[in-house]
Amino acid sequence: MAQLVAQKRVLLADLTGDSIRAMSGSMVAYQGQVEFKSAGMGGGGGFRAAIRQRVAGESISLMECTGHGRVHLAYQAQDVTVIGVQNDTVTVESEHVLAVTRDLQLDVQFAGLRGMTTGQGLATTKVSGSGQLAIVSDGPLIGLDVAPGQPVVVDPDAYVAGLGQLQMSLVSGVTWRSLVGEGGGEPFSLRFEGHGRVYIQPAER
Amino acid sequence: MIDGLGTASYDAQSLPADDNVNPYAFSIALAGEWFVSKGAMIAYYGNVDFAGVSQYASRASWVAARFSSPMYADEWVVASGQGKVVVADRGHDVNSYDLEDGNLTIKQANLLGFAPTLELKQSIVPGFVTLIGTGKFLASSNGPVIFVEPPFRADPEALLGWSDCPSPSQHYDHHWMAQSFMAGVQGMLGRESGEERQYDFTGAGTILLQSSEKLVVDAALLRTVESHTNLLDAQSAGALGQRLIARSQQGGR
Amino acid sequence: MTYEQVNSKVVRVPVTQSRPVLARRGSMLGYSGQVSFRPVAGQGQGVRSMVGAALAGESTAMMVTEGDGSVLYGFRGLYTTVVQLTGDSMVVEADRLLVHDAHLQTSIEMVGQGGVRQMARGAVTGQGLFTTRVSGQGTVVLLSHGGTFPIQLNGDTVGVDPQAYVAHTGALQVELKQSLGMRDLIGRGSGEAFQLHVSGHGVVHVQASEEKF
Repeated sequence: MAQLVAQKRVLLADLTGDSIRAMSGSMVAYQGQVEFKSAGMGGGGGFRAAIRQRVAGESISLMECTGHGRVHLAYQAQDVTVIGVQNDTVTVESEHVLAVTRDLQLDVQFAGLRGMTTGQGLATTKVSGSGQLAIVSDGPLIGLDVAPGQPVVVDPDAYVAGLGQLQMSLVSGVTWRSLVGEGGGEPFSLRFEGHGRVYIQPAER
Repeated sequence: MIDGLGTASYDAQSLPADDNVNPYAFSIALAGEWFVSKGAMIAYYGNVDFAGVSQYASRASWVAARFSSPMYADEWVVASGQGKVVVADRGHDVNSYDLEDGNLTIKQANLLGFAPTLELKQSIVPGFVTLIGTGKFLASSNGPVIFVEPPFRADPEALLGWSDCPSPSQHYDHHWMAQSFMAGVQGMLGRESGEERQYDFTGAGTILLQSSEKLVVDAALLRTVESHTNLLDAQSAGALGQRLIARSQQGGR
Repeated sequence: MTYEQVNSKVVRVPVTQSRPVLARRGSMLGYSGQVSFRPVAGQGQGVRSMVGAALAGESTAMMVTEGDGSVLYGFRGLYTTVVQLTGDSMVVEADRLLVHDAHLQTSIEMVGQGGVRQMARGAVTGQGLFTTRVSGQGTVVLLSHGGTFPIQLNGDTVGVDPQAYVAHTGALQVELKQSLGMRDLIGRGSGEAFQLHVSGHGVVHVQASEEKF
């Protein structure tokens, strides 16, 4: 079984004859016999996936790394976090997915709520099944718990991932709207309610 | 089940109060008002409202007395209410500073927030603001802040701020200038690498430095520089305009 | 005369009359004492290195720091790695040199075995084959995006993304290779079409990013 280990800003992927999927172009070094080939979007395939890929752009295209050896993966010197998933689902902004082991399913949903508010993030990836997921973030991730009666509001540009039963809505109160037109800042924010956890990074995309 | 993400998670209670969450994010325990740089807020819990400084000043007259810099009013909001507000800046280091009946001048682009017990004024040095009084403020830096004492000469791009010492004067490196004159390149206006001109600090005090930055052109800096051109008469202003156009066409910075 | 790592992004360098240093232009953050800066054109001597310098462009322009004092160096928030040379030599991608002792010998060279054609290809594709060989006894400071990590080689081979390659020491051969089976993928964004194959005995320094500067 391939093993993913995070070392600050580098992900070490040890392959034992199997394969992982990783963000295209994220290989910085490798040792051993490893082949790299384009894996498209990951998740599904066929016509629908092709259309999604077009819409969502190249930033989330994946490559398949197969063979025996160690691959060093990294993206823009960002922090790497490895998550173990067992029969569960994590929702990650697609540009933050660095690598997944082979038994995790990826379902890309382009232009979610966040994408519409910011026009930046175009795709969200649902990662489900069992295996390891490596995500990158600009600075260490900060987890913010959401519980009934304790919603959290986050900057769409700092939002990275979410898990649990979360409902997301836009904050568009009077005070927010009055800020629009003054340029920059957070004209809209994302409000999460329910039961779960939201992960943010200490930087705006 | 999900594991491996449990290392740094918080809720509204366990989030630090007026302290760093990690080196790159700070959690303000809000009970009342704070001035926050627009765009610095990345998350909050609780009942918090955000309003533009000028808008807030129209219903709270003390704001105008505390924020005496119309130049930067558009870049700032007042956060009011009860809760925890997390601020960050491009993944840069974020530090809090406590002023006690003091004053500190800092690069406006790096100032992320300050308590309303402090007063903000524009510095004579373009792009810098001065905080006066007693209270807490937050500033970002590219890498940890380096503190040095005068006499010291600092690259303008690496200068984050200074405290207690007199405002700096400009120092030109004569070796560098001589070389440049001989080579017949690099006019007084335009391309600089940072080594020919420094801010010269003397006297007693503290200077704050960071690793140099890619130039961040904020709207306020543009307005500041533009306001200085009021010193010119129409003819010189026209000549300056032509030189600036030439520079932008060369694609230099 | 030791360089002090002030933090991950800044080094403090003592300068004396007898020990000037060479630094990347625009990297001086501040100084105390009586020091001055003087731009110098290119590195190394001879026609070949001049050609190299010209091809490598202005990004590697250096300056001399002379006098008596203490100087802080850093560049645009990039991470710094301090390396001690003890009579051996180090090959560094040309624009990743932040500062080094002026008495060290430097020469521009190309990594890879392809000679002029390879050189031209490197210049055209921007795959970063211009390197500076620094040798002697003294200190060298490297720049990287997010820091470097070393990969030790004991007779084996490592494939390195040319964008992530920073430097290497030891008896290593470096070849630029177009990855097998990659050709048809170019343009479809697997992103790993060109690789540096480094083999032999030594250490390769790699950064955790594909950002060039």
